[in-house]
Amino acid sequence: MGTMAFGRSGASTAGWTRRRARFAGTAHWLLVPALAFTLALVVFPFGYTFWLSLNDYQFGHAARFNFGENYAALLHDAVFWQGLGTTFFLYFLSLALQLVLGTYVGLLLNRRLHGQTVARTILMSPFMMPSVVIGMMWLVILDPSLGAANYILSLLGLPPSQWLASPGLVVPVIALIDTWQWTPFVALIVVGGLQALPIEPFEAAFIDGATRWQAFRYVTLPMLRPTLLTAAILRSVDLLRFFDIIYITTQGGPGNASTTLNIYAYRRGFEFFDIGYASAIMIALMALVAIVVLALMRLRRSL
Amino acid sequence: MTGTGRIGCALLAAGVALAVGSWCGAARAAGDTVDWKRFNGQTITFLSSNHPWAQAVLKRLDQFTELTGIKLRVDTFQEAQMRDRLMTVLQSRSSDVDLFMSLKSREGLLFADAGWYADLRPLVNDPKLTESSYDLTDFSPALLKAEEFKGKLAGIPLNIEGPVLYIRKDIFARCKLAEPTALEQLPDIAAKLKACDPSIIPFVSRGAKGALAYTFSNFLHNLGGDYFDAAGKSNLCSTPGKQAMQLYADLLKNYGPPGVVNYSFLQIREIYGQGRAAMAFESSNEFGPIMQFPGRTKDSDVALLPPGPGGVSRPTVIGWGISMSAFSQHQDPTWYFIQWATSPAMQTALALDGIAPPRVSIANSAEYKAWLAAEPVRQEWSKSLDAMARTGTSEVGPPMEQQPEARDILGDELQQMILGQVNADQACAAADKQIDALVAREQHH
Repeated sequence: MGTMAFGRSGASTAGWTRRRARFAGTAHWLLVPALAFTLALVVFPFGYTFWLSLNDYQFGHAARFNFGENYAALLHDAVFWQGLGTTFFLYFLSLALQLVLGTYVGLLLNRRLHGQTVARTILMSPFMMPSVVIGMMWLVILDPSLGAANYILSLLGLPPSQWLASPGLVVPVIALIDTWQWTPFVALIVVGGLQALPIEPFEAAFIDGATRWQAFRYVTLPMLRPTLLTAAILRSVDLLRFFDIIYITTQGGPGNASTTLNIYAYRRGFEFFDIGYASAIMIALMALVAIVVLALMRLRRSL
Repeated sequence: MTGTGRIGCALLAAGVALAVGSWCGAARAAGDTVDWKRFNGQTITFLSSNHPWAQAVLKRLDQFTELTGIKLRVDTFQEAQMRDRLMTVLQSRSSDVDLFMSLKSREGLLFADAGWYADLRPLVNDPKLTESSYDLTDFSPALLKAEEFKGKLAGIPLNIEGPVLYIRKDIFARCKLAEPTALEQLPDIAAKLKACDPSIIPFVSRGAKGALAYTFSNFLHNLGGDYFDAAGKSNLCSTPGKQAMQLYADLLKNYGPPGVVNYSFLQIREIYGQGRAAMAFESSNEFGPIMQFPGRTKDSDVALLPPGPGGVSRPTVIGWGISMSAFSQHQDPTWYFIQWATSPAMQTALALDGIAPPRVSIANSAEYKAWLAAEPVRQEWSKSLDAMARTGTSEVGPPMEQQPEARDILGDELQQMILGQVNADQACAAADKQIDALVAREQHH
């Protein structure tokens, strides 16, 4: 029996090995379309952009290889460094606001309240709207002369604000617009995370006499951390390459006050026709996004 | 052809176009040899900006298809997006686009140096392809000159436009003020308007950095300045250059609306149209939309920017043109469309839709005259356009290939002055330095 079993087992192992080898061969071929797709849509554009970034390439002229002069020029470009600062300021401010408010709204939505369905629908609507519509809407509301925002301030007896026309205020105001749009998205992720939490740790905490704040601080928040990090990764990618609302509302102004790296690269490439230099800015931005996302993913794995 | 003959031809053609909906009857009756059905069944592609001219022409597209049998495929974008798409197509020397709208004052030098415009002159001069009534000399000389690069005709003018001063005559009357007759009077008048009615914005013009060169240039030129000196160096720190920067920035800083650094035509149209501003220096193209606001037709005057010292008046005048791609595989049928769309009859019909005509003869057509006569403010608008066509300059920003970047540099420095961050000496010095560096970079290429 044992021999038979061994014999059958040996035969079946050999067969399995052959089948596995055949399958492995087939599997490699099955991977080809996916690899070709990846090469065509990811590797080629990235490689082409990198090649362009190594050239002095102006629209209307032939490209000329310039041995990384574009990257050397970046180091001495004040607008690039200002853009880097603006990109990070906008990123940290928006992310902090969205995570804090998103968690708060998520906790509210997770409670069983009357009219919850209606409230959820209304709250979710901003991130379903096209960014162009949102940009135009806030541009009108925040116009210092024609908009509703200053009218409301005047009703409250407050002085008018320049909003998007103020070099000091423009980035926080854009962060608030983005927060208005994307907080519901973070809230949805938080609700999903909350509904997946086990109930036992909360029961144990309340039996041990924890207050609601202590339960939130020491039970909910630690268990919700992976969910919040997922939300942070998703929003980080968007925020570091922030473009649409800035382009619609200020085009990077006043001056360069709201010029992020993405806006700067667009202007250099498509308004000033300097494709080589714009590509170098985009490669720098891609490296930045990759570093931040990798750091966040490592943090998530360490939890 | 004599002037009277041109007028007669234009009137006849206009009548035919309006009554029958077809353009070429008058000219063909005169014995022309153009076979309009020669390219029947071919397809050409038009990359169009979402501009009033394009909208007005494309609603008459059936007439062109009926006349020629040529199918026109139209891709319409907002101006900036149209330019993005166009440059990608032309850079790759693709024949995907046969014809496109082009603003020569902005991108003309770059496109011409790159060899992206087809030369239209051989087509205009070919009697088998062009009606004898087409008459290229009927176009405003300034506009036609703006379409020419190194002897080649890169496009045909579509419209004429430039900044004009919209003035609320009722507010001036209420404040017992005379309308400005000299540029240097503007600050004083604005101050008096502010004192008379603090709720009114005395003066508004463009403050957005990419847009303000269009309005600022008229200040510079009327004050006797030029962007470059005789040696080809940036000249903003010359006396007239500094005066122009100071005057423009002061007017917007002290008498403009809050947030003016983000203002372009859209905000100016709204603020003047809604009756919130006493003076607005903005494009003549905005005349139609502004006059649609209640009351503006009756209470507004329209004039050129007042002259500078010594009566110098060099208004800014530009126009969109329609151009053919040098890579088009359908140049003859494409020329048929350009010819049809810029013919005297079509431009007469468009003028009645509020598109300021680039052809001199249109101003004399009966329909157009009747339209103008209906409101005094229309006549003032037309008079300003005539003066622009005769005396204007199409120099909107430093005349160089990298003009968009040069305009941006100028806009950035003027914005800083409007925001009170720098003075005229600092702003002009910084602008001159950056523009000279840009010129050097351009020469290096």
